[in-house]
Amino acid sequence: MPTRSAYIHVPFCVHRCGYCDFTLVAGRDELMGDFLKAIEIELSHVEGRPVLDTLFFGGGTPTQLPPDLLRQLIELIRSKFDLASDAEFSVEGNPADLSDATLDVLVEAGVNRLSLGAQSFDDATLKMLERDHRGSDIADCLARARERIPNISLDLIFAVPGQSLELWRSTLDEAIQLEPTHLSTYGLTFEKGTAFWTRREHGDLTQADEELERDMYGLAMDVLDEAGLAQYEISSFARPGFRSRHNQVYWNGGDFFGFGPGAASYQHGRRILNHRSVTTWLKRVLAGESGVGETEELSPEDRARELLVLGLRQTDGIEACEFERRSGIELQTLVGESIERLVKQNLLEHANNRIRLTREGRFLADSVAGELLV
Amino acid sequence: MDASLIRNFSIVAHIDHGKSTLADRFLLMTGAITAREFKEQILDDLDVERERGITVKARTVAIHYKHEGKTYELNLIDTPGHVDFHYEVSRSLAACEGALLLVDAFQGVQAQTVANAYAAIECDLEIIPVINKIDLPVTRVEEVMDEIETVLGLDGLSSLQISAKNGINIEAVLKAIVEQVPPPAGDPDKPLRALVFDSKYDGYRGVVTYLRVMDGSIKKGQRITYMKGGTAHEVLELGQFRPAMTPCNELSTGQVGYMLCGIKDLGMVHVGDTVTDRSVPATTALPGYQQPQQMVFCGMYPIDATDFEHLRDELQKMGLNDASFSFQPETSDALGFGFRCGFLGMLHMEIIQQRLEKEAAVDLIQTAPNVTYELLTRSGETILIDNPEDVPDSGQIEEFREPIARVTFIVPSDRIGVILQMCEDRRGIYKATEYLGPKRAQITYELPLAEVIYDMHDRLKSATQGYGTMDYEIICYRNSDLVKMDILVKGVRVDALSTISHRSTSEKRGRTLVKRLKNEISKHQFEIAIQAAIGSRVIARETISALRKNVTAKCYGGDITRKRKLWAKQREGKKRMKQFGQVEIPQKAFLSVLESSSEE
Repeated sequence: MPTRSAYIHVPFCVHRCGYCDFTLVAGRDELMGDFLKAIEIELSHVEGRPVLDTLFFGGGTPTQLPPDLLRQLIELIRSKFDLASDAEFSVEGNPADLSDATLDVLVEAGVNRLSLGAQSFDDATLKMLERDHRGSDIADCLARARERIPNISLDLIFAVPGQSLELWRSTLDEAIQLEPTHLSTYGLTFEKGTAFWTRREHGDLTQADEELERDMYGLAMDVLDEAGLAQYEISSFARPGFRSRHNQVYWNGGDFFGFGPGAASYQHGRRILNHRSVTTWLKRVLAGESGVGETEELSPEDRARELLVLGLRQTDGIEACEFERRSGIELQTLVGESIERLVKQNLLEHANNRIRLTREGRFLADSVAGELLV
Repeated sequence: MDASLIRNFSIVAHIDHGKSTLADRFLLMTGAITAREFKEQILDDLDVERERGITVKARTVAIHYKHEGKTYELNLIDTPGHVDFHYEVSRSLAACEGALLLVDAFQGVQAQTVANAYAAIECDLEIIPVINKIDLPVTRVEEVMDEIETVLGLDGLSSLQISAKNGINIEAVLKAIVEQVPPPAGDPDKPLRALVFDSKYDGYRGVVTYLRVMDGSIKKGQRITYMKGGTAHEVLELGQFRPAMTPCNELSTGQVGYMLCGIKDLGMVHVGDTVTDRSVPATTALPGYQQPQQMVFCGMYPIDATDFEHLRDELQKMGLNDASFSFQPETSDALGFGFRCGFLGMLHMEIIQQRLEKEAAVDLIQTAPNVTYELLTRSGETILIDNPEDVPDSGQIEEFREPIARVTFIVPSDRIGVILQMCEDRRGIYKATEYLGPKRAQITYELPLAEVIYDMHDRLKSATQGYGTMDYEIICYRNSDLVKMDILVKGVRVDALSTISHRSTSEKRGRTLVKRLKNEISKHQFEIAIQAAIGSRVIARETISALRKNVTAKCYGGDITRKRKLWAKQREGKKRMKQFGQVEIPQKAFLSVLESSSEE
C-alpha cells in the first residue's frame, strides 16, 4: 500500500519553554530560509506524486513562520503531494501569534484542522510553564479562527508544579466552554536536558504528587466524557467524528513520510529518524548529505509488540484477528499469558471481542506496556 | 649444588613493617634485578596486593650473594602477613631453615608479629630479629628491643637495625643469613623427596609447581610421581625465580625452584604433596600440611547467568593457587546458579572476590558472609552448618553452637577502655591484660567469631587511630542463643537473604535489612509487605505502598523510537528481575542489601 500520510516538523519558537525537549531552535528566525531550502531537498527524494489522506504540520511552532514563508512551505509540499478530497490537514499553532494574515494563508492552502497549544487558562500556570500567551488570549484566538477553520483542538497540560486539582478543574471547564472538537491532555513530564529537569534536581521545582497527578488525570477523563468529548486514547478526547486521523495512523502502525529535523518516517517496516539537532540537520541536508540521524529496522516481533502497546493505549483496544492481520503474529502466542494475568489484575478487560485497558489500567498504562514487552 | 652454600629463609612481619621493600632491596643488592627493573614491591605481583599494600600469596626468589670468597644461594620464600593467611605462612616456613623477624622501629611488636614469630618458632627456624625503618623521624628502637625480648623471648639486643627503604645496613642482614641460618640438612644420596609448597596456574604452560628439594635431586627429563596425588609425569622444565622464571637442568638437595610437567588438570597438584622419583621412589612422604579450616562462607553468584561456567573455571584456577579456599555449586531461588565458597577470613574473602572481578572479569553478587556453625540435633546428631539455608526447624535443634575465637589485641594503654567496651558489646568474655611496656598493652578476649569477622578490624583501627592490632585463633564451639532470620517479601521467603545471628542482635539487623530492601524494590500495583521473621514471629516490617500512577499521558507522534528505547530498557531491566510470588526484585537489590554487612 502506498504511503498516505506526511508530517512536517517546523522547528522555530520565540522561546524554549522550561519543560520542552522537542527539536527546535528559539530566536533563530534567520534560519527559516535555509529550512525551506532543506525541506525542498528532502522532498525531492520522494518518488512519484503520492496522494495524502493526512498531512500534519507540527513543531516548534509552524505559525511562527511569517505568512509568506508559511505559504511557500505549504506550496512546496503541495507541489510534491496531492491531497485526497477528504484529507485531514492539521497545523499546530500558538494562541499568542496566530495572526489574521497567517489564518488567511492556512485557509487558502486548505488547512482544515487547527491544534492550539492552549496548555492552561490560568495565568500563573502559564507563567510557570514559560508560555508567552495569557489565558484570555486563547478565547480571542479561537473566536477569530473558528469561523474559518471550525475543527479546532486544544492542548492542555496538567500536573504543573503549584497547580491544584481545583485549578485544573477550572481549566478543563474553560476549555469545554470554548467547545473545541478535540482535546489533548498531557501530564507534565520532566525530561533530561530541560530547564525543569535541572530545577527539579536543584530542589527548585517540586514535581506534582503521584496521587494528585492521578486525581487530575481521572478528573479529565470524567469531566471531558460528560462534556461529550469521548476519550479515544490515553491523552486524546474528541467529539464524534473528530478523532485525529493523522495520529491514528501512527498508533495503528500505518506508513507515513516525515520531513524536517527530528521528524520520523515509517515505511515498509523501517523507521527513519532525522537528526535531532536543527543546525546539524540543516548543514547536512544543504551540503547534499543525508539528514538522517538513525534508522531502525523492526523485527516482526518488535513491530508486533509496538503495535500491541500503541493499540492498547487507544480506548478501542485491539482485536485479535485484526492484530494478527496487521502484525503477522498471533496475539495468543505472543502475549496470551500476560494478557490473562493483566485481566486478573483488573488492568485489562475483554469487551466486545476486543481487549482494552480498564479505567484503572489507564492510570498504569506504562506498567502494562512493560508487562507486554517481556 | 653444594648444600652448605644454600640458605633458605623467610621474612615474617606485621603488615606494613616493610617486608616487601626489604625483599626488593635484596634483589637490587645482589644484582638479581637492575636498578632500572627495581620497582616498588616487585614481589607483590598480584594487582590486589599492590592495591592493598599486603602480600597475599607466598612468593619465592633465588639470589646469589658473595661472602668471604664463596657464592651463596639465598632462597627467599616470601610469606603473607595478614592473620587470614597463617596457613600460607606456615606452608612457606616449612620450606625454610631460618626467618627474618622484621619489626617496625616505631610501631614495635604487633599482633601479627607475635603470631608469625610463634609460627616460625614452632617450625624450629633460626630467627633473626631485624628492626626496620630506623630512618623514621621518630623511633623507639630501645623499647622495641625490649618488646622483642619480653614478648617473643628472642635476643632483642642483638637485633639488626636497618632501613630497607634507604638501603641502610642491608649487607649485615645478608651476612647474618649466611652466618646464622643453618644450611639445609637433607641427604643428597637418598631417593628424591621434594616438598610442594605452592602452585599456580599459568594459562600457557599449565601448572607451575613450587618445590623445595628435601632429599636427593631432581633433573629435567626425569620421570616423577606425586606421592599423594599418585600421578606420574615427566619433568619438562625446572628452574628458579630470579625473580623471573629462569630454567636450569637440576635442583639439588636444599634448593628451591619450580617445575613444569605440562599438567593441565587443575586438581592434580596438591600443595603439601611430595614429589619423588618414579623408578626409585622414597619410602615415606614428607609430613605435608594440615588442610586449612575455612571459617567464613558466602555464596557467590554471577550477575549474568551465562557467566556460570566461566565463574567455575575461574574458581578452579583460584583454588589451584590458593589451597585454603573452597567452593561448591549451590542454587538459590533468588540468585540462580552459583557457588558456596569458604574462606579463611574476611580479608581472604574480599581478596578472592576482587580477584575474580578484576582478573576474571566476572561481575558477582555475594551473599552475606557467615561463619561455620555446629548443630546438635534432638536426635543427637552433630552437623556443621555453613549456609543459613541448611538450618533445620528450631524444634529439631538441641544446641546451636558458634565458633569462639581467642582474640589478642595490642593497643596503646590509653585505649584499653574503648577496646573493652567494644568486646563487651560483642558478647566477649574478658581473659587478661598484660602490659608490654609503659604505653602498650596486650588484651585477650574470647569472642564469637561471627562478631570478630564482621567489622572488628575496622572498629579497632578507628578506636586506636590505627595503632591497635589484633590476631585471633579459633578455640572451640560454644552453645549460644542463635536464630535464623528470614526475609519475606509479600509472604514469600527470599532464600539469599536468610542469616544466622544472635537473638540479641537479630532485631536490629532485621530492621536494617527490610529498610534497605524497601528502597530497592519499586512500587507494584499492590501493597508489598517486607518482613524479617524468626520462625513465624515477625520482628521487623516495612511496607511499599501500591503504585497509583504510571502512565506517560502524552500523545506519541511518529517519533515513537525514543519511547521504544525506554521500553527496551524496561525489558532489559525485567530480565534482571527475580520473581518472588507476585513481586519482582531487581538483582541490584541483592547487591545493595548485601553489600555492606555492617549495621548502621
